Amino acid sequence: MMLPLFVCMTLLIGCTEKEKFIVYGSPQNEAELESVLKEEKSVEKSTVIQYDDKMLVAVQIKPLKKWNTTKIEKKLQKKFDEKYPSKEVFVSADYKIFYEANKIKKDQLEDNKLSKKITELQKLAKEET
Amino acid sequence: MVIIFPSKPSLLAGGVVAGPLEDRSTFKQYFDTVYDDERWQMDTNEQGHRKMVEEACEFVMKKGGITTAEVDYLLGGDLVNQMTPTNFAARELAIPFIGLFSACATSVSAVIVASLLTELGAANYSIAGASSQHNAIERQFRYPINYGAQKPQTAQWTVTAAGYALVGKHREDAPSIEAATIGKVIDYGMDDPFHMGAAMAPAAFQTIKSHLDERKQEIYHYDLILTGDLGQLGLKLLKGMLVESGIKNEELTLLRDAGAEFYGQDESFQSGASGAGCSAAVFFSYVMQELRAGTYKRVLLVATGALLSPLSFQQKETIPCTAHAIEITMK
Amino acid sequence: MEKEQYQQLEQNITPPTPYLKNAVKAFVVGGLICTIGQAVSLFYIVFFNFTEATAGNPTVATMVFFAMILTGFGLYKRIGQFAGAGSAVPVTGFGNAVISAAIEHRSEGLVLGVGGNLFKLAGSVVLFGVVSAFFVALIKYILVTIGVVSW
Repeated sequence: MMLPLFVCMTLLIGCTEKEKFIVYGSPQNEAELESVLKEEKSVEKSTVIQYDDKMLVAVQIKPLKKWNTTKIEKKLQKKFDEKYPSKEVFVSADYKIFYEANKIKKDQLEDNKLSKKITELQKLAKEET
Repeated sequence: MVIIFPSKPSLLAGGVVAGPLEDRSTFKQYFDTVYDDERWQMDTNEQGHRKMVEEACEFVMKKGGITTAEVDYLLGGDLVNQMTPTNFAARELAIPFIGLFSACATSVSAVIVASLLTELGAANYSIAGASSQHNAIERQFRYPINYGAQKPQTAQWTVTAAGYALVGKHREDAPSIEAATIGKVIDYGMDDPFHMGAAMAPAAFQTIKSHLDERKQEIYHYDLILTGDLGQLGLKLLKGMLVESGIKNEELTLLRDAGAEFYGQDESFQSGASGAGCSAAVFFSYVMQELRAGTYKRVLLVATGALLSPLSFQQKETIPCTAHAIEITMK
Repeated sequence: MEKEQYQQLEQNITPPTPYLKNAVKAFVVGGLICTIGQAVSLFYIVFFNFTEATAGNPTVATMVFFAMILTGFGLYKRIGQFAGAGSAVPVTGFGNAVISAAIEHRSEGLVLGVGGNLFKLAGSVVLFGVVSAFFVALIKYILVTIGVVSW
């Protein structure tokens, strides 16, 4: 029972220390991405993983804005779709996706595995039960 | 309402067995045995309940120096539906038996009937008493044992104990029953099954009052007036009612309650003990032994019973209560 | 003494229910149970392939399992006596209601005892839970249809 609690604590501490906007992968549009995400006030932290034409945008919503999680998710998805029509963007506010995205960055996942991982997470987020 | 017994039937012996939790009772030293398994090594709580009754009766016979064949009647009851534990114990003991139900007042009502049979000459020896087993009674009246419901401060804890006494013809060296009062069923509109003391106090008051009035006695004629299981709050209420009726405060120190004292000041039992076994266990151990020892010369035992069922209280009925009293003297 | 007079006396002597104290105790213990639940949920998210949306089911199962262990050892009733609603309202309270009934009625056999009485206490939770879920969904559906809120 203590282990997950411990993990939770270290994660919380770890996250606050780290930078709030993380971009990993091809670094061509970092500043632009950051400004787009900063526009959305209810986003607390975010991690963006880019590979080829794929983009995974994992966000964490501020605690009291979580009531509107789905709404914000949809809004961001629309925004990114319009901004990067050539890219396959996937926005998720789920903690699992955010956690995995950070892990990708931490492990410095190689490019060939990246694409597969992004598809995998996309599939996972669609699961309902 | 008062019955006078000219031949003064005696309480010849008492047998009290109690469960593991009753090891914490302030009356523990007076009990014949405190068993460490509340099921008496049987499969179910109800079977344990039955075993407990049998054992109490065996203690009574052993201490009275008689055999089963010499006992004319067995009178008793418990709180389980249709009183199966006592009925089944009677099957094992094979003594002519009448089951009695006055809820927690059964101990005294059984002694009254036994005394009448003795007075009539119909019985040389009869065994009378009552019992309750915590687990079997809780599931009957409230929730499953392990259900985490919060009990209010006014609640009482059903004891696991069986108390039986041997009633026989008058003997100089034994406590004798001089008189008894069979109580009316009193209902003051109380409807909280977790506050039984408040429901039962008026019944105890009525019975004590009419016994004293008809016997032309005052409280100070007694060395002890002991009620069955009013609990700490119920006892306070009874005292409050007696003060209201013009009885002086200093006399009220003679008034005690078995339920309030059963577990001492332990707050985990809320307002105190209750159950048919509570009054039976204290009356037939502590009181009888103290009478024999000469500590008390005249006591009034008032067992109180709340005559409710889980059904009646769910149907929003109030709780009618009764109280029976016996006046016991020692030469 | 008259009935009304006695009821007055009863009111004076009975100690008042400590509502505030009970509420604080329920808040702390209930919060603690929920924190453990959150930790369990996080555990499933971090170490297994569960998302926030899907971690609910295994979390509930785990919490009920904890409640089962505590009920079996007779500890849950002690927590319940202390915490009141704090331990009754979370899903562990539901688990306790089901499991305590199962233990209690084991002596009457598996079918008529355990089977027949398993939902003795929890049955009304299931019933009114389903009924209220239906009405909440209905109200939300109406609100969405007239455009006040969105799904």
